This record gives sequence, C-alpha cells and structure tokens, in this order.
Amino acid sequence: MTAIAGVGYTPFTKDSGVSTLTLACRAVLAALEDAGLTADDVDGLATHRVGDSAPPTLVGPALGLTDLAWHLDQFGGGSVSHAVVGQAALAVAAGLAETVVCYRAINARSEFRMGGTGRGVPASPEVQYQAPYGYVAPPQQYAMYARAHMLKYGTKAEHFGHLAVTQRANAAKNPRALMRTPITLDDYLASRWIAEPFRLLDCCLETDGACAVVVTTAERARSLRRPPVLISAAAWGGGTSHLSAPDADPTVTAAAALAPRLYAQAGLGPEDVDVAEIYDCFTYSVIVQLEDYGFCAKGEGGPYVASGATALDGPLPVNTHGGFLSEGYVHGVNHIAEAVSQLRGDAGDRQVPGAEVALSTAQPGYILPATSALILRRS
Amino acid sequence: MAYRPEPDRDSREWWERIARHEFAVQRCDICGTTRFPARAFCPACRSEAWHWQDVEPEGRVESWIVNHQAFVPGRRQPYVVVMVRLAAVPGCLVYGNWHGERPPEPGERVRASFDRIDETLTLVNWTPAGSLDPHPHQRTSFR
Repeated sequence: MTAIAGVGYTPFTKDSGVSTLTLACRAVLAALEDAGLTADDVDGLATHRVGDSAPPTLVGPALGLTDLAWHLDQFGGGSVSHAVVGQAALAVAAGLAETVVCYRAINARSEFRMGGTGRGVPASPEVQYQAPYGYVAPPQQYAMYARAHMLKYGTKAEHFGHLAVTQRANAAKNPRALMRTPITLDDYLASRWIAEPFRLLDCCLETDGACAVVVTTAERARSLRRPPVLISAAAWGGGTSHLSAPDADPTVTAAAALAPRLYAQAGLGPEDVDVAEIYDCFTYSVIVQLEDYGFCAKGEGGPYVASGATALDGPLPVNTHGGFLSEGYVHGVNHIAEAVSQLRGDAGDRQVPGAEVALSTAQPGYILPATSALILRRS
Repeated sequence: MAYRPEPDRDSREWWERIARHEFAVQRCDICGTTRFPARAFCPACRSEAWHWQDVEPEGRVESWIVNHQAFVPGRRQPYVVVMVRLAAVPGCLVYGNWHGERPPEPGERVRASFDRIDETLTLVNWTPAGSLDPHPHQRTSFR
C-alpha cells in the first residue's frame, strides 16, 4: 500500500517572475517540508508537461539529487496528471524508489498559454483537420462537446453557471485561490462569450504556480509528520479523439470506461465517495464526469449540479478548493493536493466534515485520448 | 492564411484528392470498414490492405461553436466551426467552417463545400444540403 505523505504549493499568481524550474523546486521542497522530510530523502521525481516546464532531470540536479532511482517525465496534458501519481505509487510499491515527489510547475499565464499565444499548434496529425478552420484551442473543443451534450440531453447554460457559482463560493473560503469574490448566476450569464456556448466564466484561469505531492509507502508515511492519505486506487485508460468518439458518441468521455476499473480496485462505488476534486478545465468537464463516474444518470449532470448536490453542504462536495475555475490552474495536481487536505481534515473553512474517501480525476480524455483518476482514503 | 495544413505520409493523398474536389475515405479490403482520417491499419480487423473509396461528401451537424475571439491570427469574429458526422463513416466527426446565412440546426444534413485556397490546397467546409452556396467566393471569415 502506498500513501501521500505531504503536499506543497507555491503561491498562485498571474506572473510568478521566476522560471518553471524555480517553481518546481519550491513546490517540491514545500511538499517535503509538509511531510517532515528533506530533499536528501528523495529518490524519485515525476512530472507531466507539454514541453512547458522543467523535467526531473533538471529539477533533480538543481536540488542536489544526482542519483535518482526512478523518474518520470510524462508528456501529456491534464489527461495524465493522475497517471503520474499512479505510476509513482507503482514505483514505490515495486521497491524501485521509496520517496517520490510528483510535481507540476507551470507559468501558464506569463509564459506558455495553453492553446494560445506563446506556442505553436500541437504536433499531432489530427491538427491538419482542425486548425485550418480556426479550431485549435481547448475552450473551442470543449465548447463543441458541451453543445453536443446540450442538444442531446437538454443541458442548459444555467447548469454550467450553477457550477461556476458553486465553485467560486468554495474558492471564497480558500486563501490560496486567485478568484475569491463570489459571483451570481447573473454574473455568469453576463460574462462575455469566448466560444458559444462557453462564456468567460465557463473557462479555467491561466495561472503561474506549482504544486507537489510526496508518494511513499503507507508504512513509512505513518511514521511521518502528517496523517497519511492512502492511494486506494489509481487507474488510467479510455480514449477518444477529436475525430472519433467511444461508441461514436461525443457526450461520453474516457471516464466511462475507466470508472469501473477504478472503483473495483478500491472496492467501493460512487456512493462511498465523500468529496470529489474533478478536473474542471471548463464547467462542462465536471458535468460530464459526474455522469461518467456514476454520480448521476447519463444526461443528468446539469440538473444534478443545479440541485445543489455538489455544493460544500451537498451530498457530494465537488472542487472544494474552487478548482481551475477559481483557485488556479496547476494541471491537475492542485486537485490531488486538495483531496489530500480534505482527507487529513486540514481544509479549514471549506472542510467537508468527516471526509474519508475522495475521488480526484484528470482531464476526461477529450483533448488527449486518455484519462486517469485516483481514489484516496483517510488512513 | 493563418494555418496551412501539413499533410503527413498517411494523409497526403487525401489532401491531393480534395484539391481535385474528390471526397474519399479509406475502405478496408478485408472487412469493408470505412475510416477517416487516413491511416495504415483498419481499427476493426487490423489489416493493412485498403483502398480509397469516393463517397458522397455529406453528413449531419452534430454540434457547432461560435467563436468570439481570434483563436488563430487573421480571423474575423465571430466565426462558426461545425462538427459534422460523416454519412460514409458514422463513427467519424469532422470539422469545418459554416457556409450558411443562418446558424446550423441540430442534426441538419450538410454537404461539403470545396473551397480552393490556391493551386495545391483546397479546404472542406460545410453548407446546408438543401441549398447551394450562394457566395462560393466569400469563404466565411477564412482570411
């Protein structure tokens, strides 16, 4: 059994003023400090990136770690954020390494904006069938899938809006969050169009920052400073692409295939999840995953959110930190760290009382054809 | 032109056919499954044997977006991108700009519009199947 023994953050800003290498080192050291460890205890480093950050082969030497027993530099977007921690857990379970720090450092506002300025179009053969039509960026792609869901199931703008409002309310209780001023449904509806049906408040923030988690054995974690959080299940897989979809249905994500494996590994089901930190690059991403992870019936994600089910005092609090929409965008790792915080019971004003089981998910496979997820448990 | 497609070794011939206003998909020689975009293996039976098959350049509107900012340089906003389910390959979703005087309708039948950019490049956009494109030279917000 493996566990997460510590979490660490840099501040979330619009301009860090430092390199991603510096951000990565700061987050790694902060996570080690949280666990009561030092860099001398580290024998593994892992990250995911899309050519926009510092790999373990730079972060290791920068911290004086010249003989890492295991490292992983995973190319990929948010689809693989949780797979990185899963693979670190495998390395620890296999005895290849004892203490692996998984991090993501990103200057996503001041340097390389996702799908925006500062970088070229991705090197994928699928791009030639999209970019000539001015169709290149994640908000466009997600808006396209969101409308397909609206047309098929009657999902409404107000459903997306409820989610944005709920997550902002959570962020208001999170000192780390970039956006803490509460918003109303009217504010949502009045925000400017980005790519219809998406408005500005459907879209995640662009953030400079870093976040890290320490993966080690459950046994060792129990001897450290913080209450350990067990990695109860880690799964990855599924797949779609922009040019095809599972069962030819663009309203079904890779999570639908992955979820049964994930729950079986943990020996529990969606009804056992106390808190869910769900990849929210856009509002719709949460709504479709609530369906595909089995919290409501297919097509009911919008009404489920609008019922208040995902609010802090609802049956399934979702994105208690505010998520990418309001806390900041650290490409999935801040969702894992928030799940850890909730299970340790140190989430402050936004603590879900008695949370024992948390689900945290990656990008559900619309952009890169794969997804990944973790189920974490209080020890 | 903001972005020029870069054909690869699998797709080059498809683009050459499009430049001749021929709309083709691959059909597996072994199991008959059609596929798009071009690639070597049949995902149904894993055969590498295939041939091009001309098909009607038709489909149905699965979704669309109205872009209100310049996601690529040189675009005039707003512009519409449609997601079209190809009639010839039902599991396949393709994209293009919308050539219509009105917004698309869900499930609407559409036909390809072959829009010549220059000698070697033609792009496929989509127009309502019930109408001929009234302004074939006014490529919607293409430049």
